[in-house]
Amino acid sequence: MAENKIIKSKFFFEEEEIEQLAEVSERKYRPWPNNDKLKVVGKGITRLDGYDKVSGSATYAFDVILPRMTFAKTLRCPHPHARIKSIDTSKAEKIKGVLGIITYLNAPKIKWYGNSFLFDPHLRYEGDEVACVAAVSEAIAEQALKAIKVEYELLPFVVDARKALKKDAPKLHKEGNVVRGKPSKYNRGDLQNGLKEADVVIEQTFNTQVEIHNPTEPHGSVVNWNGDHLTIWDSTQGVFRVRSQVAAALGLPESNVRVIKKYMGGGFGSKLEAGKYTVMAALLAKTIGRPVRIALDRREMNLAVGNRPDSFQTLKGAVTKDGRLTALYLKSIGSAGAYPAGTGCAWPLRSMYDCPNVSVEEYGVYINAGRARAFRAPGHVQGFFALEQLIDMLAEKVNMDPLEFRLQNYAHEEPNWHIPYTSKLLKQAYLVGAKSIGWEQRNKVAGSQSGPIKTGIGMSSQIWWGGGGPPAYANLKLNRDGSVQIIAGSQDLGTGTYTILAQVASEVLDIPVEKIEVILGDTDTAPYCGSSGGSTTAASVTPAVRDAAEQMMDKLYSAAMAQFDLPKNKIKYAKGKFSTVEPKPRVLTIGQLARKMGERVLETVGRREANPKGYAINSFGAQFAEVAVDTNTGKIKVQKIVAAYDIGRVLNRLTIDNQIHGGIIQGLGFALFEDRILDRNTGKMLNANFHDYKVPTIKDTPEIEIHIVSETDNRLSNTGVKGVGEPAMIPTPAAVANAVYNAIGKRITSLPLTPDKILMALQS
Amino acid sequence: MKPFVYHQPKSIEEASVLSAKNWEEAVLFAGGTDVLGLLKDGIEEPKEVINLKGLEGLDQIDFTKGKELRIGALVKIAQIAEHPAIKQSFPALAQAAAQTASPQLRNMGTIGGNICQRPRCWYFRGDFHCLRKGGDECFAVEGENKYHCVIGGGPCYIVHPSDLTVVLQALGAKVTIVWKGGQKTVPTSQFFVLPEEDLYRENILKPGEIVTHIHIPVPDSKMKSGYLKFKERDVWDFAVVSVAASVRIANGRIESGRIVFGGVAPKPWEEETLNRELKGLPLKDADLQKLKALALKEAEPLEQNAYKIPLARNLMLSLLKELMPIIPN
Amino acid sequence: MPNKKKPSSLSRRQFIKGVSTGVAGTIATTKLARALPIEKLEKAAPPEGHLPLELKVNGKPYQLYVEPQTTLVEVLRNELQLTGTKVSCNHGECGACTVLLDGKAVYSCHILALDAQGKSVTTIEGLLNGEELHPIQKAFIKKDGYQCGFCTPGQIMSTQALLLKNPNPTKEEILDGLSGNLCRCGAYPKIIESVEEAAKVK
Ligand SMILES: Cc1cc2nc3c(=O)[nH]c(=O)nc-3n(C[C@H](O)[C@H](O)[C@H](O)COP(=O)(O)OP(=O)(O)OC[C@H]3O[C@@H](n4cnc5c(N)ncnc54)[C@H](O)[C@@H]3O)c2cc1C
Ligand code: SF4
Ligand code: FES
Ligand code: FES
Repeated sequence: MAENKIIKSKFFFEEEEIEQLAEVSERKYRPWPNNDKLKVVGKGITRLDGYDKVSGSATYAFDVILPRMTFAKTLRCPHPHARIKSIDTSKAEKIKGVLGIITYLNAPKIKWYGNSFLFDPHLRYEGDEVACVAAVSEAIAEQALKAIKVEYELLPFVVDARKALKKDAPKLHKEGNVVRGKPSKYNRGDLQNGLKEADVVIEQTFNTQVEIHNPTEPHGSVVNWNGDHLTIWDSTQGVFRVRSQVAAALGLPESNVRVIKKYMGGGFGSKLEAGKYTVMAALLAKTIGRPVRIALDRREMNLAVGNRPDSFQTLKGAVTKDGRLTALYLKSIGSAGAYPAGTGCAWPLRSMYDCPNVSVEEYGVYINAGRARAFRAPGHVQGFFALEQLIDMLAEKVNMDPLEFRLQNYAHEEPNWHIPYTSKLLKQAYLVGAKSIGWEQRNKVAGSQSGPIKTGIGMSSQIWWGGGGPPAYANLKLNRDGSVQIIAGSQDLGTGTYTILAQVASEVLDIPVEKIEVILGDTDTAPYCGSSGGSTTAASVTPAVRDAAEQMMDKLYSAAMAQFDLPKNKIKYAKGKFSTVEPKPRVLTIGQLARKMGERVLETVGRREANPKGYAINSFGAQFAEVAVDTNTGKIKVQKIVAAYDIGRVLNRLTIDNQIHGGIIQGLGFALFEDRILDRNTGKMLNANFHDYKVPTIKDTPEIEIHIVSETDNRLSNTGVKGVGEPAMIPTPAAVANAVYNAIGKRITSLPLTPDKILMALQS
Repeated sequence: MKPFVYHQPKSIEEASVLSAKNWEEAVLFAGGTDVLGLLKDGIEEPKEVINLKGLEGLDQIDFTKGKELRIGALVKIAQIAEHPAIKQSFPALAQAAAQTASPQLRNMGTIGGNICQRPRCWYFRGDFHCLRKGGDECFAVEGENKYHCVIGGGPCYIVHPSDLTVVLQALGAKVTIVWKGGQKTVPTSQFFVLPEEDLYRENILKPGEIVTHIHIPVPDSKMKSGYLKFKERDVWDFAVVSVAASVRIANGRIESGRIVFGGVAPKPWEEETLNRELKGLPLKDADLQKLKALALKEAEPLEQNAYKIPLARNLMLSLLKELMPIIPN
Repeated sequence: MPNKKKPSSLSRRQFIKGVSTGVAGTIATTKLARALPIEKLEKAAPPEGHLPLELKVNGKPYQLYVEPQTTLVEVLRNELQLTGTKVSCNHGECGACTVLLDGKAVYSCHILALDAQGKSVTTIEGLLNGEELHPIQKAFIKKDGYQCGFCTPGQIMSTQALLLKNPNPTKEEILDGLSGNLCRCGAYPKIIESVEEAAKVK
């Protein structure tokens, strides 16, 4: 039987189902027992990269220093919509220390965002790239930007998606303002029948705002040419993706481009694609013959490297008297920004509940603002904010407890394809979470407490994919001293990938984690792994590492058999040592064994196995929020969040808790503060900084309690892991909104839930 | 940042001479936390920066029992927040200092700079050539004005950003201003100006004038003071609305008092009618409720900031209840 | 009068230490050697528009010439190559650049280098004793007080400032002390635990 095989692999990455050919491992391993029977996996092992991070020695793209390095800065369009009439760089060129300037006049015409260009004289948002300058210092580059004279022809603009759909709205692209020219639709069953069957129908609109990723490390690269070979240190979530995109943009063979990422200061989806800045830096570096560093500033981070699109959602929900969902409907409008991007938010409604009749119509709309990108659980955070409030409203209408209502409409099989789940422990999550928050203590009548501070409890469910899939590979090397290296083309975003991969190998090889070095994020040395997004990294890569480690064990066993000249059953292996008592007691460490081998490095290649056929792979969870609302000020204090999850196997207790905390806190930022403000009259962003764009601070940290109700998902993979990064954020805003309703008896249907909205709602 | 010439004067007189130029020419620089923001964003592009930190004697807090508290302009906000005597006798001031910006900024910013800081209107801080910057349009009045003023505005609608000023005014503080060849001491109520008086500056300072000290009369034992600041996010945020009060309580009544609002107007906002109403007010909930209707009576909110009015009134009531034993109805 | 002239080339101190091209940041260990004290500058006149600056960084005295608009973090990162100090907002709004100035936490991005004249600066690198981690740094590893690690040097410096002033902080005081440092990854619960741990072991 062949051990590896090429198959058609299909799984969800972010909100898109991707299909590709992939070589998979056909080796079957005994499923691991529950974590309490394992030695390393599941334990709170501290991070392998801890030293680098706490000592300041971790080198981010931003910290790479090369000899003769120069610095690039980008001139961006100050208007929401304009055309360059003329551009004059002569004054800037004369500034001492300025080395090179590129604009649409002298740069190659490189296609970008479909039908636009790297430098396009048609500028479609405040932040669109106009010119890029390299100089001997960042300060001089900035000075040069100010000296570039650009004459703009101002064009009419639109920064509101609903207005952009109007007939007379200014057009951003020839095709019109609807992305791909038409809405995307989905139907199952018969909506009209479902509405007719129901006793109660509720229609409600919900809005969510634009959220900016704002990772702390700015996007940026350091680029260096050696002849026609280009090395890029990039702050990215996907080294191979960046390599392909940059190579294609520059017309280079991929073999000539090396992308390196060791440490990266947060991405949350905004670093899943190559940036224009990398290509601009590469072009400049080529012309001036020196390395270039380009790093965006906070303003550029807010304008030009992605966001979670807003949503204007109209939902209809229909139920029978006894609380059975008969129909769900969604029409959504979302701002793609100036160039094509996904804006959908229908998956929650399509897949969370058992509902026979579903109809969806979604419009992605161009507006004159920064383009959207995947942002931690794209579509789901927005979708659940609306859906889970609608569910609470329906439950209230039929006098049912919201939790009971959810259990009643529980999807026992995947509602879109009518197939079973590899595992689904959502019910357990509901029950554990409800108990831990004290669900029965919530207000039976919303808003019924007296006193200026009113408390409330609310919940939200979540579903996500996060099962990952092939292709994903890992090389495992055993050196002559018994030390081990794992090399994979994946990347650690702060999620703990370095550490969990070592744990998996350590579990199989029965050697301490400290003996294992993990090397990630280098296209020249590592076998392929996909980008780190969609909560797929752990689920895709850990099985490949187990495969590599198990093969290494087989190899070592054969070596031991040859060395001892004994059959396998006469040899024991434990804690890095082979031993036998026949004919006399002998012990060989794996290092000693490796030294007997002619090859100085033993190597295996691990592959992710195929996902099981005929199953839906999803992670599930629920969050419960307890809030206190000050009715004097409208301020919401989130006191406690209980998170209960079915995410397969826990690999590392420390890092999984940390991920869930992080998701919840980002969810709170979205729920309470964060909002891109575009001036309606000028189309310009007013809060492109960390002061006015408010992300949560340490003081906004609620008490968080985490329950993982799953042990493993053995149907899924040899490690049984599903991702948690995105699931952690999905339910938070909806749970908070439902809790606020429970506290004050007013439903706030637009995010963020700022004090002014609450106060005005309470006044009315 | 545009390059500039940097001066480190050793005396106030020297600093005054160096800075006695057009506002566009020279800027005074204390902690620099505000100035650097303006310079980095190109909102101000002075040719000269005059660092005040070399000036002697301006970094002291002097407390004369029963008389006055004198704070040098270069005293750091953190020092005010942590000073035992201030915490004891001027709790409102310590509270306002402790709630300003963030710990690092409190270690860097000075009280002089705090009261003289420029507005935070996001058009002013952005690349909008608005009225206050010499343009011919206020972008806020029909734009995104959630954080703008509800009273005292026109033709510009900023709010004064400083927390300390609100308390200083409630405590009856005075500001000493020195220039080459002269000096004066004015109450804070005369220090700040509305846009209708001066569209381009937020206070009466003229080029060459330097704030050297703040003086606060020491209250007697019957005086109570407090400060409540409402912010959306607990750190870094300027006050959306704030209120400071000092009241003298005797025989179950308010004998006299001052209430000053922040975040509602282009300067710390004090209403004579309200202060008058405080005189002799019994400490009863029903009587306090009357104040609510009176406060900010003349306010004219813009499209997005009407919420500030109930917010300010509610905060005022909460503060008074914190300061005094109130008899419920 | 203002001098608009710029230095004609990079400072001659801007040389590379410990980073070899091509492999830095990958397999090779990426620890940058810390810059050594700079020998006293020769008598040569300073570059135009530059002013002399003397300060101590991590206990070592430095003398250099800077332009007045240079911020402290620019000196630390660009001149001294102490890249452990990060820049995230460059406006005093996030805390990534936090260092200690005479023992107090400040934002090094939002202070002029000349304002550190004669003062003593401690950066994340200065907490180490050789390669040995400081107890606070160990506490952050033990309690997993980070995710991506980009805000971590700032968080640790704020912890150091807090514990210098208040060795036994309450939970409230920890929240106050660390409130000037954003963590976009939201590692706050574990940052709080790390500070508690650090206070315990100190
Ligand atoms: C992110 C952020 C958040 C903030 N949050 C708050 C907040 O919540 N509450 C609050 O009150 N403030 C807040 N501030 C403002 C901060 O408190 C001020 O920047 C600081 O107090 C100014 O002091 P400084 O010494 O740094 O002033 P500088 O920046 O040096 O000067 C500020 C202004 O005052 C002038 N000036 C300084 N000293 C004198 C003097 N002696 N005489 C005459 N003019 C002088 C300067 O010319 C300049 O115009 C915040 C600032 C930032 C950057
Ligand atoms: S409120 Fe004042 S500062 Fe703001 S835009 Fe209007 S004129 Fe300018
Ligand atoms: S980088 Fe200095 S405070 Fe953000
Ligand atoms: S660990 Fe990533 S920002 Fe704090």
